[in-house]
Amino acid sequence: MPDNNTFDAIVVGSGISGGWAAKELTEKGLKVLLLERGKNIEHIKDYKNTTKEIWDFPHRNGRTQQEINDYPHLKRDYPLRESMADDNWSPWASDKDNPYTEIKRYDWFRGYILGGRSLLWGRQSYRFNKWDFEANAKEGIGVDWPVRYDDIAPWYSYAEKFAGIQGTKEGLEVLPDGEFLPGMEMNVVEKDVAAKIKDHYKGKRHMFIGRSANITEPKPEQNRVNCQYRNRCWYGCPFGAYFSSNSATLPVAMKTGNLTIEADKIATQVLYDKDKKRATGVEALDTNTNKTYTYNAKIVFLCASTFNSTWILMNSATNIWPDGLGSSSGELGHNVMDHHLKVGAGGVVEGYEDKYTFGRRPTGIYIPRFRNIYDDKRDYLRGFGYQGGASRGRGVEIAEHTLGAELKEALSEPGKWYMSIGGFGEILPDHSNKISLDKNKKDKWGLPVLAFDVELKENELKMRKDMANDAAEMLEAAGVKDVKARDTGYAHGMGIHEMGTARMGRDPKTSVLNGFNQVWDAPNVFVTDGAFMASSSCVNPSLTYMAFTARAADHAVSELKKGNL
Amino acid sequence: MERRELLKMIALATGGALIGGELFFSGCKSAGGAVTFTPETIAFLDEVAETIIPATSTPGAKAAQVGEFMKVYVTDCYDADDQKVFLEGVNKLNDACNKMHGHDFMKAPAEHRKALLTALDKEAKAVQDQRSKAYSEYEKAERAKGSNLPIMDFKNPVAPHYFTLMKQLTLLGFFTSKTGATETLRHIQVPGKYDGALPYKKGDKAWADSI
Repeated sequence: MPDNNTFDAIVVGSGISGGWAAKELTEKGLKVLLLERGKNIEHIKDYKNTTKEIWDFPHRNGRTQQEINDYPHLKRDYPLRESMADDNWSPWASDKDNPYTEIKRYDWFRGYILGGRSLLWGRQSYRFNKWDFEANAKEGIGVDWPVRYDDIAPWYSYAEKFAGIQGTKEGLEVLPDGEFLPGMEMNVVEKDVAAKIKDHYKGKRHMFIGRSANITEPKPEQNRVNCQYRNRCWYGCPFGAYFSSNSATLPVAMKTGNLTIEADKIATQVLYDKDKKRATGVEALDTNTNKTYTYNAKIVFLCASTFNSTWILMNSATNIWPDGLGSSSGELGHNVMDHHLKVGAGGVVEGYEDKYTFGRRPTGIYIPRFRNIYDDKRDYLRGFGYQGGASRGRGVEIAEHTLGAELKEALSEPGKWYMSIGGFGEILPDHSNKISLDKNKKDKWGLPVLAFDVELKENELKMRKDMANDAAEMLEAAGVKDVKARDTGYAHGMGIHEMGTARMGRDPKTSVLNGFNQVWDAPNVFVTDGAFMASSSCVNPSLTYMAFTARAADHAVSELKKGNL
Repeated sequence: MERRELLKMIALATGGALIGGELFFSGCKSAGGAVTFTPETIAFLDEVAETIIPATSTPGAKAAQVGEFMKVYVTDCYDADDQKVFLEGVNKLNDACNKMHGHDFMKAPAEHRKALLTALDKEAKAVQDQRSKAYSEYEKAERAKGSNLPIMDFKNPVAPHYFTLMKQLTLLGFFTSKTGATETLRHIQVPGKYDGALPYKKGDKAWADSI
């Protein structure tokens, strides 16, 4: 513990947003305290499963009944596996220690560790387009974004240059280009499918390499080596080849000498001075000792992950606002969003038997939104993009062989090429999709937990039909055979793109934050994780958090200097 | 090669998804208890596995210690019902061998073993068909209720055939073993680059399955 508990700024959470906040604020000369509820880890040294092979795991990276029992929420999808839940590497939050209430099923997959889910993200990095920021106002959905594309574009560039995003420039309004490192390559079958889609849809639909935060050129100034095509990002990259707080922002922040990191500390509330109408600091609980600490600062950045930032606000200044700091609008906790998925199509690509791939590419392909733009009009609002790819399967005429040398031989060769795409659909902000405090249920530390009352609405359910049908139609148009459309069902949260619950807006009566991510009722409190989102677009949101966090930090320091905070 | 490709291959080769902890809806209603695998049982399973994936120009399932792997997987990843099916299957398989050939499996020559397991594979696939049908019907009923949620906590009313379990674990255990991945398949820990159009000729081995 530092003797002095007073800092210029406190950042709560060390994930993508928190890491950026720490970097920007320390670089601007502020003394910053970073609170992280999970344990501290050291970049590279603590990535203990990253060079292991599948045979090093006793269950060959399956999941044991014990793990299934220990993770009643995480078990619902792919994140739970042996290599992500053993003594060496368990970045996911314990479901047992951190329960929550499901009024309706909600799959909440949390990363409680230094770096948070910046270690665990899919790394897909896309800009929102100009329509994304205008649609709420035009359609009368939610509230108008107080920001337009042109306001945030320079901050996207700023974030991209530092993080390192590989991709190709496509010149599309629907998915603006950025500052890219050389793009990874589509494989021979993907190139073929992309050409056929372009041809069939006369240039109205596009497929290209998925833009991702994996660097394709070294960044020596950040001690990061270019991607080695192992595709083991989730174990932490010993080359620092993908962007994480641990590989990129936190080392820079540490180097300034202005950063103090306190791990194992749950920020329980923002401390608020009602006379000055300003936050004075943060109260935090040590997860090992249960001891409470008070930290003072001029500004607070809440980057604790969407729902946890809102949870902190709900627990703050309750003597003034019973529902918490930022609740005066009646919107705190409301408008939960994610991206809905698990719907798409796949099939067999004939030919290319003389081609295979070398290396494990850590990104797939991307097909940007084509619905409800230009002259296209559907019976629902907004749209979806697709991610996917082509690969050769395993085994030749598997069903023909029962056992013995022929079976072994047949299973040892690559099989046919498959092409599969899955949709990521926009979810509209809806006041009735909400989280609230469940004061009857407590976590391991006796803190009240969140209750989820969230579901897909009509607009998304209609959209899913297109997501399956369009995928199948497009693949068929590209010559893919045996195409099967699929919708295996989606539970809210499965996109792991939680957004909303403390939206920004133009009016304190209908929004929690202003256009610079400041809580209307406490302008020295900034919320820059997914909680601020006024709509979700259909593209992966992390790059947008980076851009808004950097912009908010710039604004915070400028306002501090003016004496406004 | 992604691990999910391996799981897809196992599903294709055995007529259904891998049984055990893999399934998202495998629930925890009857987590498996401690089970006993004697050295004899492991030796027996090694021979069953070797019949399915024999040594050829490269080592087979026995060299990959698949019997030992089955013990670990069945103990930790199976629920109590599947554990029971698997362990009773050891005796059932031996009984079936006596019935078909008039002697124990361990004493049976390779040709007898192959004939027996070929017959069991057929039986097992018929059970797998019933299981697929049961799942489809359940899914259809859930969807008919208007739910768009993924299926969770489904317990198939049709118990799997023991030979399905043995064959699945043989394929999983062999292709994820060091010898399977590096001698029968090929594996490069740090590829260092990507080539999306690598020349391929018939007979070149597949890449091993990534974790």
